[in-house]
Amino acid sequence: MVLPLQKLKAAQGLFVLLVIWLLAVAISPTTLGGENIFLSAGNLTDLLRATAPVGIMALAMTFVIITGGIDLSVGSLMALSAVVTSILLTSGSPAMPEGPRLVLAILGGTLSAGLIGLLNGGLIATLRLQPFVITLATMIGVRGLCRVLTTNEKVLLGVGDDLPGRFADMFSEKIWMIGSFLFLAVVCDILLRRTVFGRYAMAIGNNERASRYAALPIAWIKIGVYVLCGLFAGIAGVFHAARTTTGDPNAGIAWELDVIAVVVIGGTSLMGGKGSIPGTINGVLIVGILTNILGLRNVDSNMQLLLKSVIIILAVALQQKRSRT
Amino acid sequence: MKRILLLCLALGVFAGCGKGTTSPSGEAPANPKYLVIFSQCNNAEPYRAAQNGLLKELLAKDPEVKLAVYDGQADAAKQISQIENAIRQKPDLLIVAPLQRDALTKVMGEAMAADIPTICLERDIIEPNYTTYIRCDNRKIGQMAGQYIVDYLTKKNGSPKGSLVELQGMKAVEGAMNRHAGAHDVLGKYPEIKVIHDATGNWMQDQGMDRMVEALNAHPVGIDVVYGHNDPMAYGAYLAAKEKGREKEMVFVGVDGLAHEGAKYVSEGVLGATFEYPLCVNKAVEIGMKILKDSTFTPEKTYLMESRIILPLSK
Repeated sequence: MVLPLQKLKAAQGLFVLLVIWLLAVAISPTTLGGENIFLSAGNLTDLLRATAPVGIMALAMTFVIITGGIDLSVGSLMALSAVVTSILLTSGSPAMPEGPRLVLAILGGTLSAGLIGLLNGGLIATLRLQPFVITLATMIGVRGLCRVLTTNEKVLLGVGDDLPGRFADMFSEKIWMIGSFLFLAVVCDILLRRTVFGRYAMAIGNNERASRYAALPIAWIKIGVYVLCGLFAGIAGVFHAARTTTGDPNAGIAWELDVIAVVVIGGTSLMGGKGSIPGTINGVLIVGILTNILGLRNVDSNMQLLLKSVIIILAVALQQKRSRT
Repeated sequence: MKRILLLCLALGVFAGCGKGTTSPSGEAPANPKYLVIFSQCNNAEPYRAAQNGLLKELLAKDPEVKLAVYDGQADAAKQISQIENAIRQKPDLLIVAPLQRDALTKVMGEAMAADIPTICLERDIIEPNYTTYIRCDNRKIGQMAGQYIVDYLTKKNGSPKGSLVELQGMKAVEGAMNRHAGAHDVLGKYPEIKVIHDATGNWMQDQGMDRMVEALNAHPVGIDVVYGHNDPMAYGAYLAAKEKGREKEMVFVGVDGLAHEGAKYVSEGVLGATFEYPLCVNKAVEIGMKILKDSTFTPEKTYLMESRIILPLSK
């Protein structure tokens, strides 16, 4: 009984995506030659690239929410990674060859965010404190840390032909940003469905007490999902820095809500124990297409907020209702 | 076990704080005679960070002055309680960059009632509860930007005609409203200048970039000018156009002109022009020091700081 139900639910999600897609095609402006702008390859890849940072974080957030947790710190962690990467790129000693400097900067940014993820997971798993509270605290603290590291100023990478400029050119390429998102999505899907880690995460979210009686390594799994979330926020931060050619200590404010929203639109339950990577990708696409088409149509930004909220509620309500029957 | 861990954590945090902090931020000279308190509404904005930096630099030259800077953290309630706290310290001069017009009016009145000379910086409040008000004029800046756009289009297209993309700051904020209205005071006189795309970037570079990508896709040819209500959004728009190889097709105009941001972008040829939004701090120090040291001095009720256009040196 479970299997067809899940299939039905996935179909509901796809149905919403299809409706939004058809709507976008129908109302898209056209070029003077009559070509549909929304459907042009350039626009569709622009859309995917614009959603890639939120999408990458949403993949890892899916695991966190499946365990029944939440991670509010991803926006701050993204900024931390962007800032650390930019500082390492602009301040590295010129004596060091560029290859290692580049690798060091990217690893430094990603791992610094991963480290905070480890702190999140460690505190949540060992002290058994509520994830909401712990990650709220790191969200605030890491934002402060970003501003201290940069003395409140943006770290500019510039558009020149030096290492920071070339880093920005390279990693803002569509092939890198969209490719990484798709690659990580495949990795996460396998991790969630085909590995012990993913199954344990699902089991903990379904019934933590039963998982404890079954002697599952709950603490390790929890630490694992928050480290994953930190690392993915770190990767998103590297791309954000490259795309904006800036390490902005104020980047990603309130992005955690965007990330959680796409995961929830994708059918993952905030109660834990239920969710999938294809669902999250679906959520990323629904929000991405919506933002893109409203932008192309040049809809007033306040109106955009209203429309988005209506569609989020519709998308979630539609999936809830059908899955209960 | 849990409590011990928590205790260690707390101790670690406090130990960490003890070392690096110089709070409240400011230097204590050997023999300060005057206490100046600056209530800043939000240190996190680059413009305001620049204000703080310049104020500290200017006042550090005067050994008689001790400066304390409070950060309201974009929270009106916090800024109010910080000003209340400042009044208790009986400073010789209070400078306030208010977060909101109405919320801060009352508490600045209390400072005035306590006979503390109070300078209102850059943003207005609803009652004149200040000794003097040093202001900028966003409407005028908008008009200057509008005039630059008209001149640019006349030069490019032979007459004042062409297509404009506008990237607005946050809706319902004074800066965005007047930078928009000012530009359209001028542009409105030329019906052949058309705003073909009008989006909101909320002052953020990344949002400016995303909105510009949409504008570029919606208009595959024929964008002449991009007007961003601040430099980061204009810069984001430039990056979006550069990705598509279209940055030469149009000119990018910003506002703010901070030395390490907009002015730098202009000198690099990224922006065609930017318009300085004055920091106001140098005037505040000039007037403030006269208030402190010259008992015969009566400041005017308002001082208007002039903006200026920042153009590339080569032009």
